Amino acid sequence: MNRTLIIAEPSEIIRKGLIHIAESLGFFSSVKEVACSSMLHDSLKKYKPQMVLLNPTFVNPDGLLELKEISGNDLLVAGVIYSLYDDEIVSMFDEVIMVGDTRQKISKKLGDLLDKTPEKNRKKTPETLSARELDVLKLLVKGLSNKEISDKLFISTHTVISHRKNITQKLNIKSVAGLTVYAILNELISMEDVQ
Amino acid sequence: MTDMIIFGKTKLADIVMQDRRALVLLPRFGIELGFGDRTVKQVCEDRNINTDFFMLMVNVFLNKNFFPDRKLKNVDIDMLLRYLENSHKYYLEEKIPYLETLIEEFINKVDHPATQQLEKFFHQYIVEVKEHLAYEDETAFPYAAALSEQIKKDPSNISDIDYHIGVFEERHDNIEEKLTDLKSLLIKYFPPSNDRYIRMRILNELIEFEDDLINHARIEDKVLIPIVEQLEKKIS
Repeated sequence: MNRTLIIAEPSEIIRKGLIHIAESLGFFSSVKEVACSSMLHDSLKKYKPQMVLLNPTFVNPDGLLELKEISGNDLLVAGVIYSLYDDEIVSMFDEVIMVGDTRQKISKKLGDLLDKTPEKNRKKTPETLSARELDVLKLLVKGLSNKEISDKLFISTHTVISHRKNITQKLNIKSVAGLTVYAILNELISMEDVQ
Repeated sequence: MTDMIIFGKTKLADIVMQDRRALVLLPRFGIELGFGDRTVKQVCEDRNINTDFFMLMVNVFLNKNFFPDRKLKNVDIDMLLRYLENSHKYYLEEKIPYLETLIEEFINKVDHPATQQLEKFFHQYIVEVKEHLAYEDETAFPYAAALSEQIKKDPSNISDIDYHIGVFEERHDNIEEKLTDLKSLLIKYFPPSNDRYIRMRILNELIEFEDDLINHARIEDKVLIPIVEQLEKKIS
């Protein structure tokens, strides 16, 4: 996994300070700096960072979405705030670092933010079954055919098949007999249902 | 695991040391352990094994990228069939009974309603494997043997053997596939159990069996089928 952090901040004092702190945290495999807003897009494309610490003056509110589009939607963006800012601007960041924050506070904020990443990834390829997939699984292990399942759930057989594919992919179990063991283990059905 | 290519001068012990998958091959050629520092060629000559054939089998078995095309025309089909039958014998007489014992032990030790279903699943699977092997032993292999026999005797007078290796090719399904299901269930989904390492032993056996079956199937697909197809061309 790419653990690059980009610090996009015009003030050299603050930028160097943040780099110093970020490198000491051990969260990131590399820390890059961007001193000028015109370089931001190129750096995102080049380094594909996991997180950006961003001075709000570098982008307008629409620009933030654009940044996420450039480097994939999983990009985490924390704002670097010197003083009072409009709530609207603050709320567009995933997190906000104040220049007055202690190292501990920055560490906690960035750590918590990084912990959110796996959750986002999980949404993309969850290993748990969706409610609909569970419905299909239950009927499947009771011995119903694709056609019977499609009639019962009012979905097309094509959809049933696609649910079955997802189930197999998520559980790494292909056969109905194997899925039956899974269903009993997880108390989705009882022994009587399969006998 | 190595992708080494074996030569006649290689010490047999070195092969087994480097890749333990070679172990299961030895009994299929009637080679017992304890062969000292003898080379592949020496061990084969001691036991009247065709060295080229032995090396071909080892190389195809251990190296999935090994394409034996040019060496195929020298393969004696009876030797090949005997090797394949010996593999089946090993599965039926050694591997499967041992797996069955382990699974039974697991089921006895683990008190969970799902074990009953696991047993059913496993037995169903064993039935399928046995059917698969029996089909090859009783239909596909005898056909290949009869075909080569006929060609040796009188290629112009082929009686009506009502079979075609293409049928085997089509029917040659992956019997190792369900082992993945079994592995997933034991690794991920059965709750932790105090089964005195039995689950681990089962997994080790399953992984080895799966590997063996995949390599075995590759010999059938890359060696047996092309050879029989060539024989079929001769008579058509």
